[in-house]
Amino acid sequence: MTTAVTSVPARTGGTRVKGRNNYLGGLFGWIWLAIIIVPIYYIVVTSLKDQGAYFTSNPLSLPIPPTMTAYQQVIEADIGLYFLNSVIVTVGTVIPVVLFGFIASYAIVRGNSRFLRFSRGMFLFGLAIPLQATIIPIYLIITRIHMYDTLGALVLPSIAFGVPLTVLILSTFLRDVPAELFESMRMDGCTEWQMAWRLAFPLTRPAIVTVSIYTGLNVWNGFLFPLILTQSPDKRVMPLALWAFQGEYSVNIPAVLAAVVLATVPILVLYVVGRRQLLSGLTAGFGK
Amino acid sequence: MAAITPVTQAVETTVGPTPGAAAPGAKTRLDILVLPALAFFIAFAFIPMIGVLLLSFTDWDGISPITFAGWESWAQVFTDPGTYHALWLTIALMIITWAVQTPISLLLGVFVAGHQRYRAALAVLYFLPLLLSSAAVAIAFKSLLDPNFGLAAGLHLPFLAQDWLGNPTLAQATVVFVIAWQFIPFHTLIYQGGVRQIPASMYEAAQIDGAGRVRQFFSITVPQLKYTIITSSTLMLVGALTYFDLIFVLTQGGPGDATRILALDMYITGFQANQMGAASVIALILVVFGLALTYGIQRLGGRDLSASQMEGM
Amino acid sequence: MTSPITSRRSFLGLAAASTLGAFGLAACGTSGPAQPGGAASATGGGGGGGTATMWGLTGKPGESIRESTVEAFNKLGKGTIEVTSFQNDPYKAKIRTAVGAGQAPTLIFGWGGGILKSYADAGQVDDLTSWIGETSGFKDKFLPSTWGAATFDKKIYAVPIQTTQPILMYYNKTLFEKAGAQLPATWDDVMNLVGVFNGQKVAPFSLGGQSKWTSMMWLEYLLDRVGGPEVFDAIFAKKADAWSDPAVIEACTKTQDLVKANGFIKGFSSIAADTNADQALLYTGKAAMMLHGSWVYGSMKSDNPNFVANSLEIGNFPSVSGGKGDPANIVGNPANYFSISAKASDTEKEVAKAYFTDGLFTDTEVQAWIDAGQVPVASSASSKLSGSADAKFLQLVFDLVSKAPNFQQSWDQALSPAQAEALLNNIDKLFLLESSPEQFASAMNATIGK
Repeated sequence: MTTAVTSVPARTGGTRVKGRNNYLGGLFGWIWLAIIIVPIYYIVVTSLKDQGAYFTSNPLSLPIPPTMTAYQQVIEADIGLYFLNSVIVTVGTVIPVVLFGFIASYAIVRGNSRFLRFSRGMFLFGLAIPLQATIIPIYLIITRIHMYDTLGALVLPSIAFGVPLTVLILSTFLRDVPAELFESMRMDGCTEWQMAWRLAFPLTRPAIVTVSIYTGLNVWNGFLFPLILTQSPDKRVMPLALWAFQGEYSVNIPAVLAAVVLATVPILVLYVVGRRQLLSGLTAGFGK
Repeated sequence: MAAITPVTQAVETTVGPTPGAAAPGAKTRLDILVLPALAFFIAFAFIPMIGVLLLSFTDWDGISPITFAGWESWAQVFTDPGTYHALWLTIALMIITWAVQTPISLLLGVFVAGHQRYRAALAVLYFLPLLLSSAAVAIAFKSLLDPNFGLAAGLHLPFLAQDWLGNPTLAQATVVFVIAWQFIPFHTLIYQGGVRQIPASMYEAAQIDGAGRVRQFFSITVPQLKYTIITSSTLMLVGALTYFDLIFVLTQGGPGDATRILALDMYITGFQANQMGAASVIALILVVFGLALTYGIQRLGGRDLSASQMEGM
Repeated sequence: MTSPITSRRSFLGLAAASTLGAFGLAACGTSGPAQPGGAASATGGGGGGGTATMWGLTGKPGESIRESTVEAFNKLGKGTIEVTSFQNDPYKAKIRTAVGAGQAPTLIFGWGGGILKSYADAGQVDDLTSWIGETSGFKDKFLPSTWGAATFDKKIYAVPIQTTQPILMYYNKTLFEKAGAQLPATWDDVMNLVGVFNGQKVAPFSLGGQSKWTSMMWLEYLLDRVGGPEVFDAIFAKKADAWSDPAVIEACTKTQDLVKANGFIKGFSSIAADTNADQALLYTGKAAMMLHGSWVYGSMKSDNPNFVANSLEIGNFPSVSGGKGDPANIVGNPANYFSISAKASDTEKEVAKAYFTDGLFTDTEVQAWIDAGQVPVASSASSKLSGSADAKFLQLVFDLVSKAPNFQQSWDQALSPAQAEALLNNIDKLFLLESSPEQFASAMNATIGK
């Protein structure tokens, strides 16, 4: 692990490998940047125009002066509520997933009963189940327990589907905790429970960040469950709200795109603030 | 402090007690710890799986009481050319998106792992598409690609003003493009992490031996990234089974059925044609496919995971 | 790194809190459609009991007219109605899942036909026949031809509402004048115009092909003109191989001829009607003609009143020489309908019925529809048409509807959901030139009886 920081990949004209600069690579990088940026630029710029201007002007031109009409329309259309719904569902899923996933991983790594092996097998099996395939029975179950059209209906299956990967990643991480550490704690008279929280939990922190982010992002952007399991406008989450906006605002493209921007800004903020954490977390969990 | 191990490893190795594992008395206590996670999983993932199996033997229409129908729905699905079309589309989409995304992500990952400052800045921007939800991406591209009101029309570039989402072949290509646009950043990140862990010493040794940049790339970088490639590919392929959100908002499976992958076929059969039994059969196909895929990839790449990659040091 | 000393107690507390949180969301979210007290409730004093829920479609002018009638009703003291509006295409999916989940609104909005019948067969909507019979004068409030699509086996399952919606041809007069062309009277005229307009770099027809039911309108008219209403009657009656009637093949061929001649705007298969993009193409001058429902008149009027006032011409679908169908036949939605959910409580049903008798088609509502450029299906409407600003349009629609020998209900509403879905799919393929008329016919034959 310590070697990771100092390695230099061959393709770059880095500080280590002397030689010509990698122009081809650089060019490729800039082209890709353009591909990424142009649509994003288009989104932002268009959201600042008004509908009439949008129809007549060059789509890539900057609006002069920029107007906030589109944003006003979207905010008046309750976007704050949808944002709140998304937050509730996401937080309501990530916390149980992490907590339950952690203790399950701990048990699986530390224990050796048939039940635990069975559980592990179940979770592995669960990894291969595509979420979409279960939507019809989930719809049935949710309606039978009278939770149709509630935010809870979104949380419950999301927890279920977030667990397998979480357990997988966390148990992989935990397995590398040297046994001696546990031994010494046990000598001190700690119970398994205490060892879990005092020793294992802090050590797995990077992986926990990873699974939190991965699960959170998936739930935040989830579309199918809300589509099927909710119906009232006041239970909408962001992706569904965007879809509805697209229809309601029809050819008022600036408004539609303003909604897209508003939907993304919170995550953007999180990204700017927590980027290092996010990136290192994601890499730590998935990297070799 | 903990070493970073590949995701795939967990699948292959069996659970053995780590030396000095929990004392026997703690066994029950440990068993209990797994219960909450297991309970949720069984209730909302495993039981629905059984549910899909059971529903496939009905011809439920969503509003009437559920009645047993034997193999009727199965027959309907398997004699419908639409099903095979959807299956074929799904496989093709998986392969094509993999073939498009993997080289680009790999190269970008290598590129971004470099230590020039501007590359770090680029990396920040590269990540932006991932922050948008699939629905948002699809909506944005839908208006961007409108042949009459979109980007190309506004710029008066007739070549770019193709019927991107209305012509079947173009629509398929567009779907691949938009998927790549959104998800390459994620895989770039994975590869970046992988590349960063390749020891510099290997490159130094190669350079001393006179190997050029391209040679180094193919002889060192790519082999060292073997497990990263497996991880990324697993995520990509299994994820491709279910690009539902993006395609649903972008094309609704159209034009015609040009982009009606299996997951969409299931949704439309169930929730638009109101044939829940048939939809459940399709769902089962999805599941079997997913299972086969996951275990297949593990088999393919999982040999000898504990072999040291540091040979030759 | 110091580890927090997490005692079992605090862990359990946290886990319990988060799971409770999840269920708490369930609780705060269980306000299903039947919850009392909402933004739309009234000052209704004492008497009037419970609350009923109503679903409808978004879009002008229907959404606001509906909301005003509900507001007016809520003030009457006979009960409160809460209305929620959805977009057209998503609504069709949503209502089904809601009905299946037992969470349908009290008042279910629909188009009658096959879907209503499937609800009736599943016991999800109430049989209103006896109630209507007992409520004197009620049946006469509505245009007589509108009851058909809601009646099965002589039982009535819904009440006609809103407006009658024939499908019409819309023309951009300005573009015609510029091209020096005449409005088409026959199908041959249409094919000629295609060449004329393409030469002028204007799309002949706008079409929101992604929505599919828009493409279907073409086939509906062509089939009726070529073969008369008997052809679809046979299909509806589930006669075997009814789709192989030569008239079907000819109608499909003519449709494909139009597509091949570039009769439709470029990119039509990715334009969705829900976003009104197809209407925008007509009034921004990118297309010269459009086949669409009468409801878009009102929507275009509010989006671009100038166009509607100065540049819009309307007509019936052209005739086809040698065709058996009467050129005065029309196609479309005879009316919209409200059914009462069988699962609603008795109080809710009472409120719904009160709405039928006292809230529906008040003079204010009838006038509001007329002012918005639509013909409500109320009997009281005919005398009010001439006074309206859109008298010309309204009278045309009214005459068309009242004089039409046959008013064919939209196929995707007349047929069962499974058939309708297959139909829309196959029509899509037809328009994309992916299947031939014969393939269309055999694919559709396979759906008969579903």
